Amino acid sequence: MISSITTNLPVFVVIAPLFVAFILTTFARRIRLVEGFVIFIEVLGLTGAGILAVNVFIKNIPIIYQMGGWSAPWGIELKIGNLSAFFLLVVAFVSVPVSLFAVNNLSDEVGGKERVTRFYVLYLLLGGAMAGMAVTNDLFNVFVLVEVATLSCCGLVSSRNRPQAAEAAFTYLIMATLGSTLVLGGIGFIYIITGHLNMGFAYEELNRIWQNSPHVVWMAFSFMLVGFGVKSALFPLHIWLPDAHSAAPSPASAILSGVAVKGYLICLLKILYRVFGHTLMQEFAVHRILVLAGTVAIIAGSILALTQVELKRRLAFSTVAQVGYIILGMGLVNIKGLTGTLFYLASHAVIKSTLFLAAGAIIAATGKKNINELAGIGRKMPITMAAFTIGSLGLTGIPLFSGFIGKWNLILGSLESGNIIPIAVIIVGSVLCAAYLFPIVRVAYFEPAPEEDWKDPGFTQKIALIMLASAVVILGIIPGPFLELAERAAAELLMLR
Amino acid sequence: MSILLEKLIINYPYSIAVVLFIIGALTVLTRSSLFKKLLGINIMETAVFLIFIAAGNIRGGTEPILSEGNPGTVYINPLPSALMLTGIVVSVSVTAFALALIIRLHRTYGTTDANCIAQMRKEVIDR
Repeated sequence: MISSITTNLPVFVVIAPLFVAFILTTFARRIRLVEGFVIFIEVLGLTGAGILAVNVFIKNIPIIYQMGGWSAPWGIELKIGNLSAFFLLVVAFVSVPVSLFAVNNLSDEVGGKERVTRFYVLYLLLGGAMAGMAVTNDLFNVFVLVEVATLSCCGLVSSRNRPQAAEAAFTYLIMATLGSTLVLGGIGFIYIITGHLNMGFAYEELNRIWQNSPHVVWMAFSFMLVGFGVKSALFPLHIWLPDAHSAAPSPASAILSGVAVKGYLICLLKILYRVFGHTLMQEFAVHRILVLAGTVAIIAGSILALTQVELKRRLAFSTVAQVGYIILGMGLVNIKGLTGTLFYLASHAVIKSTLFLAAGAIIAATGKKNINELAGIGRKMPITMAAFTIGSLGLTGIPLFSGFIGKWNLILGSLESGNIIPIAVIIVGSVLCAAYLFPIVRVAYFEPAPEEDWKDPGFTQKIALIMLASAVVILGIIPGPFLELAERAAAELLMLR
Repeated sequence: MSILLEKLIINYPYSIAVVLFIIGALTVLTRSSLFKKLLGINIMETAVFLIFIAAGNIRGGTEPILSEGNPGTVYINPLPSALMLTGIVVSVSVTAFALALIIRLHRTYGTTDANCIAQMRKEVIDR
């Protein structure tokens, strides 16, 4: 029994949330039970991800799982290397506090108790699809998982009982389907010239025969870049993101901004480095495009964030800027840069969830959406605002917080690639980040509070905020094994081993 | 020039797919009616399906069902067709979900035009 669970663990981390999501509907009216069950599954998922990660970390060889016993290239293959283990840990870790935060806290935002279960169904579907994106080694699986994730993301956005949520969800759905159609087209071109859907086999074939049809390779590159660019809100394809992420219920905003966007970025990273490979990327100068797109996104996203007056919209635009850092790092094509990208991805997942959950708690308690109305909130809601402050410091990249290590490695990577512009942009981006986040902290702590009775949220919400905020600090002070895992994942992507 | 034209005509499924893709993309991006946007998405997806199916096809080939007596038969590649079955399922679910959202928007705003909805929302905010 135990041995069959451990050997099949790679597929269980994907299947279990999907399976449970549909079971939930059978006892939809007993919300306590549903909530308990969801948290149980998330903790189980974290345990599974932890076991897999420790296994990969100690043995340092990837776990390969063949679905149904059919070996590649005929069967579908799941491969848990350092990159997959890393992203699985991030997804599983962030899901736990977000579902804790949602406990007993959703019915206002989704409009009635009977709708809470629907939210959880979509939430688990998204979790399963994200875990799948981490472990899959098959191109068509990538497309299917991307679609599952997209549909559940749109569902989560539209679960808010406001008309603008439906509108935002529709825009999101159209844009995201545009993106996934492009991704499918890209996969089609790769399949046509290589005849393989398995990433490893496609890589070998593609690097052998790409000179025969460089135009098709170009098409595949551009379809993939634009497709995943739309989905992960790379500037200027981000137009759906601010509406969707600010209209969604708060736990959904946290998971959408924190984890869902990263899933698409991991898929892009896998396809660029594992299917095309870094030699082909440099041959077609794709790495320059990535660096350019990243720098533009950092500056433009930060400036747009600076102009927003609504708290959640400002955080949503900040995500656009942070995606820029991750894309920039992808284009550096060296170990330091990729380590920085991966670590920054993880640290942004944790930080943005903290910020969105804190913002959600503030909006739920005060009913105020705008930043200048939050005077004195730091004294009324100390724990929430402390978490928000830690998140802001982390996102800005102050030493001793997790964002710093990511940015530091990105800067080292740009130095190594001999490009000065990204360094300047990263520093300017940090300054702009401070400029749009610190005023919120200042208003909250240093302005007189009104005579109203605002309180910290309930017990489980506090635990969720404390978990995430302490993760930001712990990752910043002792990144140790986690940074090591990111470094090995970077080496794996560059095929140095 | 004539060689290019000849290539386009011989590979007509791909040429049609490109035309369909452009029609779909233009419809999505330029039309303000929500239904037309949805139709555009569907046309675009169909174009991509056509590319896959055409890639798996061999002219003169038959469906890959093994039968005795004709060892020399050429079979088409069944894998792209099987993949596109999944693709069609995905596209149907996207369409269903989008239609549900359109119904909800129509109930709230009384119109299915994206520009009208944006304007109505703006008026609400201004007030």
